[in-house]
Amino acid sequence: MTESSVDAGVLARARARVLGAASQPVSEPTPAGLNTASDGERLWLLPVWPDGATPALLDEYDTAPMPMDRSGQARRVLAAALRCCWTRLDDAPWPGEAVPVPAVLEVYAGMSRGDAELARRWATGELRRLSDTGWLLLDESTGVVRPGPRVALWHDDTLGPLRDLLRRLPEPPQGVIAGE
Amino acid sequence: MSELFEPLLRSYDERRRSELVAAYMAVEHAAEPVPEARLAALREPASRRTIEAMLNLSGRTLIRAGRTEWTSGYQDEVAEELARDPACAVLAGDRAVLTLVLIHSVAIPRSTGRLPDDTWLSPFPTPLEELRRRSQLAIGELESALRRLRLAGLVSQVRADGRSDNGDAGGFVPGPQFHRLTPAARRRLQEELILAAGPDSPLAATIRARRRSRERVQQEARAHVAREAAVQGENS
Repeated sequence: MTESSVDAGVLARARARVLGAASQPVSEPTPAGLNTASDGERLWLLPVWPDGATPALLDEYDTAPMPMDRSGQARRVLAAALRCCWTRLDDAPWPGEAVPVPAVLEVYAGMSRGDAELARRWATGELRRLSDTGWLLLDESTGVVRPGPRVALWHDDTLGPLRDLLRRLPEPPQGVIAGE
Repeated sequence: MSELFEPLLRSYDERRRSELVAAYMAVEHAAEPVPEARLAALREPASRRTIEAMLNLSGRTLIRAGRTEWTSGYQDEVAEELARDPACAVLAGDRAVLTLVLIHSVAIPRSTGRLPDDTWLSPFPTPLEELRRRSQLAIGELESALRRLRLAGLVSQVRADGRSDNGDAGGFVPGPQFHRLTPAARRRLQEELILAAGPDSPLAATIRARRRSRERVQQEARAHVAREAAVQGENS
């Protein structure tokens, strides 16, 4: 190993940005200057922003954030997933519950007009993209999905409208809320 | 929450502080470089120095794009470290697809004078069919690579409509992340592209020669430092 000229804390924060929401075992030391979200076993490293700002600040300056393809659809699928995973709406959405993917697809199909089978197919692709970007955690081998570590960065005082929206969405199929 | 930034922001009043935070968030998260007319803190050299210091905390640096627009990117020495980390490296298949896009959308138009020298953004899309034919990747792998590259802002998709010369045109161009290259990174990429697109060209030979001589200088410098250290060790 050649010795690095870069400060270890600086490099750790740069690395966290490259990797998006990377996780490590909770037992490992946490680099300074990062936010963290833990589910008890793993710890996700998330950015720290000055003075509680979020990228939503860009709106106030007429500045477009990184574009996302089919962002409306992605947001609706995220809402459908949260409808299933965020079972106690008065609590925080993180870490939430793990639920079977078909339950999320069912809620999403109930939110969309038109071909339900097509809606399920679209939503499956969106779940994957939302998982790539840390909004959800999708385990394709077991077919379950749960909230992603990025939702842990949402301030509680901004959650009101989201709670109202989720209450208006179709209910998850029976048994999901009980975690069956 | 913002202990990280506190030492840099402490001395500013509330208004200046919020201008600095807004400019920091804008250069870090906007899709495109932001005009300094829109963000007060980007207009003055003194506050730009504070933004630079805020960015440096995470290995980032302020990058001027055009005359009065700004964005951010990784500092050269940090990018070099990250590139050595296997977890941070872009997958080989994704790199191959990106290289093909750069050759078709940038190198070829540039060599025929249709694109200026120092830009990595291009109005000339690389057709999907070209990527399929040249990348030697199965269609499923190619699609996954393009999905990851688009998500990372490394390529953008251009729709087929609106082009008159060829009905099925459209495809992929370098994405908004290419605004975020430092001058040194742009130079290095330019050299890499010449080596990839014309490995037998005289220009490629010049680049290889220059790199060899630079390595030699670095090796000699390292040897010199080692000798000095050894002498100091003997003397102490």
